[in-house]
Amino acid sequence: MNDITISHLRKVYGTTVAVDDVSLEIPSASVFGVLGPNGAGKTTTFKCLLGLARPTSGTILFGGKPLEPATFERIAYVPERSVLYDWMTVAEHVEMTRRAFTSFDHKRAHELLGMFHIDPRRRVRVLSKGMKTAVMVALAFARNAEILVLDEPTGGLDPINQRHVLSLMINEAAKGNSVVFSSHQIGQVERAAEQIAVIDCGRLVLEGLVDDLKGDRKIVEGIFPDTTFTLDGIANDARVARSDRTERILRLMVTAGANDIAAKLTAAGAMGVRVLDLNLEDIFLYAVSPATATTDIVAKGTTS
Amino acid sequence: MPAVLTVDPRSGVPIYLQIIEQIKRSVALGVLQPGEQLPTVKQLAIDLTVNPNTVARAYRELEREHVIETSPGRGSFVRANGVAEAPKVAAEIGGDALDVALRETKSVGLERHEVRELFELALQRWYGAELSE
Amino acid sequence: MNYVEWLRIRNCLRVVAIILAIFVLLAVVLRVSVARYMSPDAWIEHFHDPGTTVSHVVLPDGTKRTILDNAAEQTHVVIDDRGQQGKHIVVTEPTARAHTDTKHVNVGSIQVQESRHGSLTTTTIDTNGSVPMLYYMAFADLFAIVIGTFLAAPLAREIDGHLEVSLTKPVSRARFAVGAIGIDVLGILGTSLLTVVALYICQLLFETPSLDFSGINARAIAMGIASPLAWYALLCALTTWLNRSWIGVLAAALPIAGVVGILTLLPTQNVIALFIHDTAWVISRLNPLSYVSMAVPSDDGTVSYRPDNFGLRFTLEVMFFVVYGAIAVWRWQRVEA
Repeated sequence: MNDITISHLRKVYGTTVAVDDVSLEIPSASVFGVLGPNGAGKTTTFKCLLGLARPTSGTILFGGKPLEPATFERIAYVPERSVLYDWMTVAEHVEMTRRAFTSFDHKRAHELLGMFHIDPRRRVRVLSKGMKTAVMVALAFARNAEILVLDEPTGGLDPINQRHVLSLMINEAAKGNSVVFSSHQIGQVERAAEQIAVIDCGRLVLEGLVDDLKGDRKIVEGIFPDTTFTLDGIANDARVARSDRTERILRLMVTAGANDIAAKLTAAGAMGVRVLDLNLEDIFLYAVSPATATTDIVAKGTTS
Repeated sequence: MPAVLTVDPRSGVPIYLQIIEQIKRSVALGVLQPGEQLPTVKQLAIDLTVNPNTVARAYRELEREHVIETSPGRGSFVRANGVAEAPKVAAEIGGDALDVALRETKSVGLERHEVRELFELALQRWYGAELSE
Repeated sequence: MNYVEWLRIRNCLRVVAIILAIFVLLAVVLRVSVARYMSPDAWIEHFHDPGTTVSHVVLPDGTKRTILDNAAEQTHVVIDDRGQQGKHIVVTEPTARAHTDTKHVNVGSIQVQESRHGSLTTTTIDTNGSVPMLYYMAFADLFAIVIGTFLAAPLAREIDGHLEVSLTKPVSRARFAVGAIGIDVLGILGTSLLTVVALYICQLLFETPSLDFSGINARAIAMGIASPLAWYALLCALTTWLNRSWIGVLAAALPIAGVVGILTLLPTQNVIALFIHDTAWVISRLNPLSYVSMAVPSDDGTVSYRPDNFGLRFTLEVMFFVVYGAIAVWRWQRVEA
């Protein structure tokens, strides 16, 4: 009942299509990572999710019901940029949150602020960008919310504080709450997220469990004796997402059945057939910018 | 649990597989004794800073392979016959390693006898000279 | 739910209280420095000519009467000091020496009346006339309008980078907007109240004020409460619409209202002047402050004002508040982050 269903979400600003027919099923008690290049539509999707922007079309349901004011008791949100009031102190922000939400844990908020080394008596005006993010994170995680929506929650944070945020997210998942977050720190997404979605140019280009994506997606590489090899049967295989050919070397990015395709390559006369693992960053790059991904794989191939 | 478990999230190998492999390795080496209690899913997730469901998946798989057993309310424990499993697990790990090695030697075009020579050299380095000398 | 707004008006009222405290302090200083001139002895000095006899008597009701008499100069002064109840002074002197040449002066609680008979002039000074609440409300109204301008734009301030906070609270958008406006209303009313209290204290330093709430004063109180709130509501509506430049709107509001008001007084000698005058007149009809009439006492003792359409004007102010407030709330319902 904390699951979120986004159906055919579409958001148009004037003539720009920010989100184009995105559908996602975010299960309850999970950590869901949203990846995508800058300006891909992640923040717009979050805004539509929380009623901060009105979808042009599509529906969003929380536990089967549309968003209503009472739902916000169960949702905590950390936006991408600081929305704190510069003229107020951190302690006043804690008080503001305490008065607005019944399940707010005032003591925990001060614990978390302490963890981030933030003095509650300071005015927000004098805090750095990273500290402002830390304040928003502390307030959100002290909410005892069942659903946490975090848009770049580690923006501007030093590595220690980034690890704190990661641990907080994993703790929430362990408690049975849902975390939906977007991040450019793919390493963090790999650790914390069970499931991810990749959004590019407003469209959903990839979705799935991280473990499965890593387990299924591989590079199959083969070296042919000469340049006159043909690939029919292999190139047409639905599981081959991309093929790159440089003289005698063939590299295939496959979405499943890597060993099977490796065998096919051997049968076609290739030598030195290898199956290479892809980590999430590779998978992400292949999904949104194959040219960048290929260069990376080439580099990896020559050093390992 | 000794801090033998480390996972590399940046690796192309799924985290749950890494956890499975490392727990099996610990059992094979006797670092984890039969009947020894494993950390809870939640605790291990927090310790390793990885998603709890990933840990849960690893535990489920280990249970399916009869390496550990879980009793509700009490926790997860290394199976009593885990020691008996140890040689099997060790063989599995060794076999996988040799597969990878031979795939590489084949991919660079080495002949069978060349591989055998290299293998003897490596055996000497790692296991010492044969006692029959 | 609108804790931020609470903090805003709390800070605002703090500043108001400090400013008013300074006024009261100045009044205390004034009281102390004119203390010498408020006693009958000062008057004695003033009128002391050779041949003046001074006598003191205490009347049965406790009033201390000082009589100065100078038969040669034909000057007779009776000073009745009723302590906190004020003073009643009758000065009879030759017309040539009379100080005032106005027949009737009414400043606050001080009333001066002059009458001539033959070559003598009798001037009666009463220092404890009742104070029309009108005067208090005039100040309070002014202050409330200024503070209302400062506080206005609660929703525009939220739109200016805080929507992610205010639109993710577990209350409806309308409830949030009405709450913010409601708190500002309390702040404005608080300002009026503090101003009235401060003025009362200032007067108390000099004498016991007796406030007149009747007639025009009751109307002044009603308008004094309603008009700043209506003005505030107008600014809310404007800024929730033009939310990007809300600071500019607030800063320019009173000056523009002033200019428009002045333009409505343009003599319409030619077509251009007529056009400007009429346009300004139309615009000024939308400004709640145009319907407040400042009652001014004139020299002959009467107070000129327009009481006849008070009912209409007061209703208009209330309507302005409701309509402009509703516009602000409606706009808030539609805003996107």
